[in-house]
Amino acid sequence: MSDVQAETPTVADFARTFRRIQAEIHKLIIGHEQAVEELLSALFAGGHVLIEGVPGTGKTTLVKTLGLALNLSFNRIQFTVDLMPADITGTRVILSGDDGRREFTFQPGPVFCHILLGDEINRATPKTQSALLEAMAELQVTVSGTTYRLKPPYFVMATLNPIEMEGTYPLPEAQLDRFLFKVRLNYPDEGELTRIISSTTGPEEAGIEAVFHATEAAERIEALKRLVREVMAAPAMETYAARLVRATQPQNSRFVSDEARAVHDEMVNRYVMFGSSPRGAQALILGGKVRALLDGRANIAREDIEHVAVAALAHRIMLNYAALSDGIDAAHIVERVIKSVRAGKL
Amino acid sequence: MSFPSQDRRADEKLGRILGRVGSVRTRLNSLALQHAIFYTLAIAIAGGAAVFAGAYLLSPLAFLAGASALAIIGCAGIARAVGAAWRMRASAVRAAAIADERGELKGRLSTIVALANHQTSGSLWAYLVEDTLGHQDQFAAARIERRRVSRAIYPLAAAFVLAALAIPISKMKHAPRIAQGSGQDELTVDLDDLHLRPADSGDESGMQVTADAATMRRLEDRLAREGAAGGEAGGNSLNQLVNRARDMAGHLQSKLTGQQAASKQRLNLRLADAGGDQDQKEIHRAPETQKNRHSDVAGQFKQDQPKSNREIDLPREDDSRRPNSEPSPRGYGEPGAQADSGTDNPGNQDNRATDRKIQQGAENGGNGGAAHGIGADPDSLFGAPAAPTLGSEGFQIAIEARPVDHGAKGAGHAYVAPKVRTPLSLNQEPDEPVARAAVPAEDRTTIKRVFER
Repeated sequence: MSDVQAETPTVADFARTFRRIQAEIHKLIIGHEQAVEELLSALFAGGHVLIEGVPGTGKTTLVKTLGLALNLSFNRIQFTVDLMPADITGTRVILSGDDGRREFTFQPGPVFCHILLGDEINRATPKTQSALLEAMAELQVTVSGTTYRLKPPYFVMATLNPIEMEGTYPLPEAQLDRFLFKVRLNYPDEGELTRIISSTTGPEEAGIEAVFHATEAAERIEALKRLVREVMAAPAMETYAARLVRATQPQNSRFVSDEARAVHDEMVNRYVMFGSSPRGAQALILGGKVRALLDGRANIAREDIEHVAVAALAHRIMLNYAALSDGIDAAHIVERVIKSVRAGKL
Repeated sequence: MSFPSQDRRADEKLGRILGRVGSVRTRLNSLALQHAIFYTLAIAIAGGAAVFAGAYLLSPLAFLAGASALAIIGCAGIARAVGAAWRMRASAVRAAAIADERGELKGRLSTIVALANHQTSGSLWAYLVEDTLGHQDQFAAARIERRRVSRAIYPLAAAFVLAALAIPISKMKHAPRIAQGSGQDELTVDLDDLHLRPADSGDESGMQVTADAATMRRLEDRLAREGAAGGEAGGNSLNQLVNRARDMAGHLQSKLTGQQAASKQRLNLRLADAGGDQDQKEIHRAPETQKNRHSDVAGQFKQDQPKSNREIDLPREDDSRRPNSEPSPRGYGEPGAQADSGTDNPGNQDNRATDRKIQQGAENGGNGGAAHGIGADPDSLFGAPAAPTLGSEGFQIAIEARPVDHGAKGAGHAYVAPKVRTPLSLNQEPDEPVARAAVPAEDRTTIKRVFER
């Protein structure tokens, strides 16, 4: 029992580990502090991350660096239009045994790892994209009627290229909803760009030091994830998260109950086709818990929820054509909703 | 695994936190209670002061309307203040939330208060309690809410100031008509312009009127006509309501201003003369010692000298109506003139010198009805003539003398625009009377029938 207690991380352990991983990543990744924090928050909250950014902003490098820092198994899938589901999940192949007998053997796909990078996931067909659904949601893969468990921690990071949209397949809402956060990587500013040039064009490459030993990395991360779940959320905070999510739902949606119709914002009604799902509220609370631990607290506050609101809700809000024509993005809607709910308008 | 002593210490720490939250809650609720009480008192005091001042400054109907409006506004204000205080009250959860916000505790207290009775077994619960206790200085009651006294004390103080201001206003306005009337020994009004009605039965207030038999009969006729008119107008419920409202407001004003006793004093009025022009009746206030005397001016009543400051609603008129003023030089029978001598009363000459006369202005001319509202309450002629000495030269009748609205406003004679002759233009011709013509014989029967109908 004492061993178990000794292995149970404390709030301080969590914050220290988190900051150390952050520091290791930033040895290679210049800038993108918020993106890195959201990435790690999603990891410790037990979710997956969708990374959106223009080419060259370090999406793939970020994921690789994370794998190195955590010292976990890492796979990468370059999604193309001819990629098949079996190429992701694995398939049964005929192999010859030592005795010469041939038999079907399951050959695991790249999905069997701790950290999976799905690069440009929107270039694969929906059928292939959906092959990730079961793995992401249930940490298992079913091939030919046989279910194979994935080893935790399991963390999927998919990248989206917002340009070159020809020949792409936008992710279906059901799959988008399974990503805890959507992280946006913007262009670095001038200072960051200068540092990127100097650090990547020199003779020496920055070395990433693993934070965990390979043998204990998975267990340590799982313990930290359990600690996140232990963070307490007062009923008022849960209500606040629920109000935020309800406020993203337009009044004219036929999927909104009558009770929820009383909660509306003019901007939401005008630009939003579908609001966030209940998974959005879960993402708010889980992300808030990580933020609370980083702040040395065992309880989440309203500020924690608001801090992760854009990352947790923006990709769950489907905008209409009016929003596209008016240049309104989902992040703007979420910020508006936060202000409205905080002011008690809704 | 925790030991009992550890649990006890954890409970003590939790108790200290909850105790501090409780003290914050007590202070917040105290402020809410003060808010309700202070605002209620402030509204009541300010409203009372306004009503008190209005009793002096406003006419009965205006006072009634104003007091009613103030009562409604006051009730609404009190309801609003109580509602605001009710919303200000703090439960333990709300007190914790307020303390979290003001103490920058980021939801620690809210979480503890909300989960104290439900979830204490989590691995981070002890950490949360310990962490929150480490910030105990941040949620001391004095820091979360520094005020012990609600800001509503300022409106209350303002209400007291307002109430204090109402006292000098009342003193300034208290004497007015009564004090002026105290020096008056004669009151002159046009009898035809008065609205007379019998006093209510049992109403002991009023003034006594003395007059000769002819004038008394005329007064009785007036009363009878007014009574008949009142009976016809009885169907007009609006007028009755207005009269009742005026009476009620007047009584209320009298009570508030303390003038009720004065209004109930009897004023002895005496009809000075029974003959002469019946259109020019005047009422005089005369000393009681001059009771039964009357002058030779028709319809002129004299009021007995009041024994104390009493209020009769006399407008502030020109100097000719003030006490000891010179009587009008106009002769008898002249419109608006006052009698200079009385044939039936040998002491009348002396009295005229001291009588105060309120006289119709000359601009009224023969239109005595235009001189309304001078001094006496037209609605307040109460009671049947008490033991009229009709066999003698005068009589007595109880009249209630108290302020009326137009008198209280200091209204004087009605303005009658002077007639101005404007010359005709070149294109105009003077009117010419239509020439008389004989009625055709065939139409005479028809015309006769029409007029007979």
